[in-house]
Amino acid sequence: MRNTVRIISVLTVVGLISGTALVLMYNYANPRIIKNQKNEMEKAVYKLFPNAKKYDKVAMGDDVVFKVTDKSGKSLGYAFIAEGNGYQGPIKMMAGIKPDLATLEGIEILESQETPGLGQEIASDNFRAQFDGLKTSPEITYVKNAKPGSPNEIQAITGATISSKAVCTILNEQIKTIKQKLSK
Amino acid sequence: MIINLVLIFIAAAITQNFVLTYFLGICPFIGVSRKLDQAIGMGVATTFVMTLAACVTWLIYHFILVRFGLPFLQYASFIIVIASLVQVVEMFIRKTSPALYRALGIYLPLITTNCAILGLTLFMVLKEYTFLEGIIFGLGAGCGFTLALLIMAGIREELECCDIPKPLQGAGITLIIAGLLALSFMGFGGLIGK
Amino acid sequence: MNNVCNQTCTGCGKEFSKGLWRQNPIFVQVLGMCPTLAVTTKALFGFSMGMATAFVLICSSLAVSVIRKLVPQQVRIATFTVIIATFVTCADYFLQANFYTISKELGPYVPLIVVNCIILGRQEAFASKNGVFRSLLDAIGMSVGFTAVLILLGSIRELLGFGTIFNFKILGAGFEHWVIMALPAGAFITLGFLIGLFNWMNKKSKSN
Repeated sequence: MRNTVRIISVLTVVGLISGTALVLMYNYANPRIIKNQKNEMEKAVYKLFPNAKKYDKVAMGDDVVFKVTDKSGKSLGYAFIAEGNGYQGPIKMMAGIKPDLATLEGIEILESQETPGLGQEIASDNFRAQFDGLKTSPEITYVKNAKPGSPNEIQAITGATISSKAVCTILNEQIKTIKQKLSK
Repeated sequence: MIINLVLIFIAAAITQNFVLTYFLGICPFIGVSRKLDQAIGMGVATTFVMTLAACVTWLIYHFILVRFGLPFLQYASFIIVIASLVQVVEMFIRKTSPALYRALGIYLPLITTNCAILGLTLFMVLKEYTFLEGIIFGLGAGCGFTLALLIMAGIREELECCDIPKPLQGAGITLIIAGLLALSFMGFGGLIGK
Repeated sequence: MNNVCNQTCTGCGKEFSKGLWRQNPIFVQVLGMCPTLAVTTKALFGFSMGMATAFVLICSSLAVSVIRKLVPQQVRIATFTVIIATFVTCADYFLQANFYTISKELGPYVPLIVVNCIILGRQEAFASKNGVFRSLLDAIGMSVGFTAVLILLGSIRELLGFGTIFNFKILGAGFEHWVIMALPAGAFITLGFLIGLFNWMNKKSKSN
């Protein structure tokens, strides 16, 4: 009986202390984590639009779209989040598009779980540079082991065609949605 | 819907095999893969606990942790749930089926510290699976674990009569074989292309 | 008196140094394989993982050795697990708050420190039976041994897989990246050979 009381009291005390510690830690860390996530998004927007002065969220249901303007208030285009399935897991990226919604400004990979050394190369400068000024119509396509011929083509990463294709597909779908919603 | 579930199962069991791509459950993979019958016992016990753990932690995560805004208790509560689940399963099997207990009993306590179980529950939350998807994910991951364990045990039984350099005997050669297995499992990679 | 002092000090030195080589958690005890293999695609990730594990191991060893006499035998493991899980959650939140990019790369492998057998193993085998100071030394020794192997493995894989170490370019542009080293298969094979090398060196030093 004494032992049971002891077991229960020890477990309760340990649980209480650990719970308190966790609450304190959570209260310290959570605002910072939220800030980190926001910072990351902000950084991506300014990287895509170096001349941007400010960006405002466009209300669009579940889709995250920002309207980006320079210091004179002129529209530079839109930055939007595109998300979808890659080869190993979800890919989340931020893409910039010019006001005419036909030319890309570039992409930034926010999250991906592709194979290191192969699929993960979608985050490399070389691959991403291809999206700079890429035409989005009729849609973004890829070619294998060759230099892209038309203005809406990129070259897929050798050994990571599926990841490269995924980036194109995710972008195409999101661009389509945004076009539809913005033209309304 | 059904196709989606099948895909989750195949992904967890083969293309994203827990042992060979996520490195989860390596300790039993090296420790209990000397004999085929041991490997079967460990595999079945783990699959059972995994499926059950996926079930229970999904309910706890969605109905307690999310509802009451307690995300910081996630790790602590998951590991406690898994540990008690293993205990309960052990007691239940001992009472109902002594034969099954004799076959699986010794493996059950080892499962608590098997990182594949906690890993499974964490990945399940991360991938935002629904309840049914979570269960299938658990089942698939368990089958994948069993598969890797069986292949490894089969190879290691053959290895008994091989002349392996002394320093590589034991963990060394097991890891190298696991590497080759991981390499061959990459061949399944394109199986679920979207 | 002098003699006694000397004895305790040599003993303590051993508690620290055994984790580095003679009882190295990875090479000898083959524990904690999951983070060892998973996060060592680059040396920096190996280092971060080593630090996070060290934090959890040292803190929980301290806590366990302090309360070791109060905890009843039956709930020993449960208590240790709760303590470990608490420190792991703290480490995870700390990383997310201050080292966001690294914590994103390590992903679910930080929470998986909870089931790292090294930590529970040290509590069971050492901290629950020894005083605070010795447990501290033991934990530091094990952490250093663990982190050292992670950095070694990470450096080898990063060098061959990306041509860099700690993101510094070592091998020139002419080097064809050995992609397999960055993949799971490379992790298994490299660690397998490292363990072999370790055993070989051990045997050689013994026979000398």
